[in-house]
Formats: sequence, structure tokens, C-alpha cells
Amino acid sequence: MTLLAHDWYPAEVPPNVTLGERSWLHSSFAFVHHRSERDPSVRIGPDCGLYKGTYFDLGPQGQVEIGKCCTVNGATFSSNDRIVIGDYALIAYGVVIAGSAFAVPPDARAAMGEDSRLLEHQREVRIGDDAWIGSRAVVLGGSTVGNGAAVGAAAVIDGEVPDYAIAAGNPARIVGWARPSHPA
Amino acid sequence: MATSRRAATRAEARKPTPEPSGGASDRSELPSNVYVGAGCMLERTRDTFAHYRSTQDPGLQLGEHVRVFQGTTFNVEADGSVEIGEGSILAGVIFMCAEAITLGRRVVASYNVTITDCDFHPLDPDLRRRDAIAIAPEGDRSRRPQLATAPVVIEDGAWIGIGAIILKGVRIGRGARVHAGAVVTRDVPPDVTVAGNPAEPMDASQHE
Repeated sequence: MTLLAHDWYPAEVPPNVTLGERSWLHSSFAFVHHRSERDPSVRIGPDCGLYKGTYFDLGPQGQVEIGKCCTVNGATFSSNDRIVIGDYALIAYGVVIAGSAFAVPPDARAAMGEDSRLLEHQREVRIGDDAWIGSRAVVLGGSTVGNGAAVGAAAVIDGEVPDYAIAAGNPARIVGWARPSHPA
Repeated sequence: MATSRRAATRAEARKPTPEPSGGASDRSELPSNVYVGAGCMLERTRDTFAHYRSTQDPGLQLGEHVRVFQGTTFNVEADGSVEIGEGSILAGVIFMCAEAITLGRRVVASYNVTITDCDFHPLDPDLRRRDAIAIAPEGDRSRRPQLATAPVVIEDGAWIGIGAIILKGVRIGRGARVHAGAVVTRDVPPDVTVAGNPAEPMDASQHE
């Protein structure tokens, strides 16, 4: 039960959400559609910045894990499955990471009745360390974005982006590679 | 407030400015030409009707059990009119309406979908310059050239994927699927799935 000291929205952060040391969350408004019953439902590592326009629209089984030192500059996580993000990932404004191409907030899914079964190809999304997701890109359920990979603005990812690949377009294709200049 | 700002630590000073208290929800009266059916859910913020200028009646009509989530905005010009059928879900949809946008029943429109019935500026560069002058902050908007509009219709049970854009004059058939990020410039027949920019029918091998 946490109230963010700087928050303009008069709600608590849900009890199954954990925020790491020195991490910053713009507002508890991020959880306005959060319905996850998992514990933890959202686990954010240390030194992460989650800025305005970030939303966790998670269904009862939805779960988001974010590593350390990530920047989420206004992205929507909408899923009833797991979304796992590594360390040092950068996620730009307007990005949607969702279990399905037709994702809706969990309350709406519940209201759709029979139709919502068609949304149930909800699958896990994995985004690696040092990944970079460009503005308004969409990453769909079952996708993997590799370590150090870059996803271009407005790209639609529905599959695997290998480590250090640069993927862009709709549907996304690999358009180049960017390997580390100082290998570990 | 000034006291607390003075007391702020260096770390806090780097933080983004919080929104003013009560910034999210708009509890003012709805415009009188907005009709809301029984059982609707309207998650309204200050942005939802910030650019709603319809003088039509109705200017916006939500059927029964329509669910409108935060992020949805009804940007409707004076001559525009938007109708949403029973049981439809708008997960965060940007409507840009100058004439008519009609959604049937049980339409699902996902996050960041844009639906527009107008390009809002002329294609002819001379006319477009006239428009640019007319819409300047101190310009005379009555001198705007006539805008070409064409109604958009989305039929019953159609689903529009994340971030898709539906352009003017398009009819999306009953039960059709518009994949995430698609830009729809032409009609989509019933029960057909389209994807890409410009949107084209998707063959099964492309996906899954």
C-alpha cells in the first residue's frame, strides 16, 4: 500500500506492485486498468523511470517484470500473460506491448463474453537487455526482442527479433545490425 | 506549494512536473448534443472532449453498454457527427470527424487507433497555403477552403488492431479484422483480415 508522494492521482499503487530503489513512477494512474491477481503483478527493478502515459492494463493472470535501469517513456502494457523486460531497455512514447493485436483493457475483455475467447492467444513477450523500442511501435504476444536489438518507430513486431538486429516496418523486417563496439 | 518546492531535494527537482490535482477526470457536464445509452462506461479525461465542436444533433451518440476508455478523444468539427453502436469497445481511440463516423455493434477498437473522415487540409498546394494562413493563431478560419470529407463506416463485429489508422471514405465490413498498425485507405470486405501500410488482405501464410 503505497501512495506516491508526488502523485496527482488520488490512488494507491496496488499492493502486488513493487518498485525498485531509486525508481520513479509518474503516477498511480498507470494502474487505472490494472486487474492482475498475480503476486507480484508488476515488478520494477532499481533505477527505472516510468513516465507519463505509462499504463499497466493487466488481466487477472497478467504480469510485467522490468529489470534495472530501464526507461519507459509512456508505454501501454496490456496482457493477460507475462511481459518480461531486461536491464537497460529503452521504451519510447506511444509503444504498446500487448498479448494480442486487438488488446483491450481487462474490464472490456470481461464484458465481451464469448467474443473475448478470440483474444486468448495471449502469450508471453520477452524484451532483452539493452533493447530499444521506438515510438509507437507495437510488440505482440509471443514475440521476443533480443539483447541490444532496436525496433524502429511504428514497427509491428509479431515474432522474433534476434540479438543486435534492427527491425523496422509493418510487418517488421530486419533492416540492419548494430553489434556492441566494446564486447564484454 | 512554494514552501514545499524550496524544500525539494536535488533528486526531486529533476522529476517531471506533476499534473495539477484532479487533472485526469473531467466531471463537467457533457455537451447537450451528446447522448449516452444505458449501461455505458465513459472514462472521461480533460482531453476527451477538448476538441469537440459539433453543432449537430446528435453530435455524439453512444449506444447501450458502450465502453469508452481513457485515451479516447472525440475531435469533432461543427458539421461532424459520431455514432457508436451497442456494446462497442473503444480502448483509446482518436476520432477526427468533420462529417460522419459510424461504428456498428460490438466493434472493438484497440489502443491508439485513429479514425478520420477527412484529410483536414486540401491536397492542392495553393489551396493548402490558403488553409495554412487561415488556421494561423490569429488567422481568419472562415477563409478556410472547403474540406473534402467522406463518411467512415465500421460494421458490426469488426475489430481494429492496435495503432491502426482508418482514413476517410472507408467502409470496414462486418466481422473484418484490421491488424495492428495497418493504414486502411480502401474498403475492407466483410470477414476479411487486412494488414500493412497501405492495408492489404493478409494471406494466412503471412501470419502464424
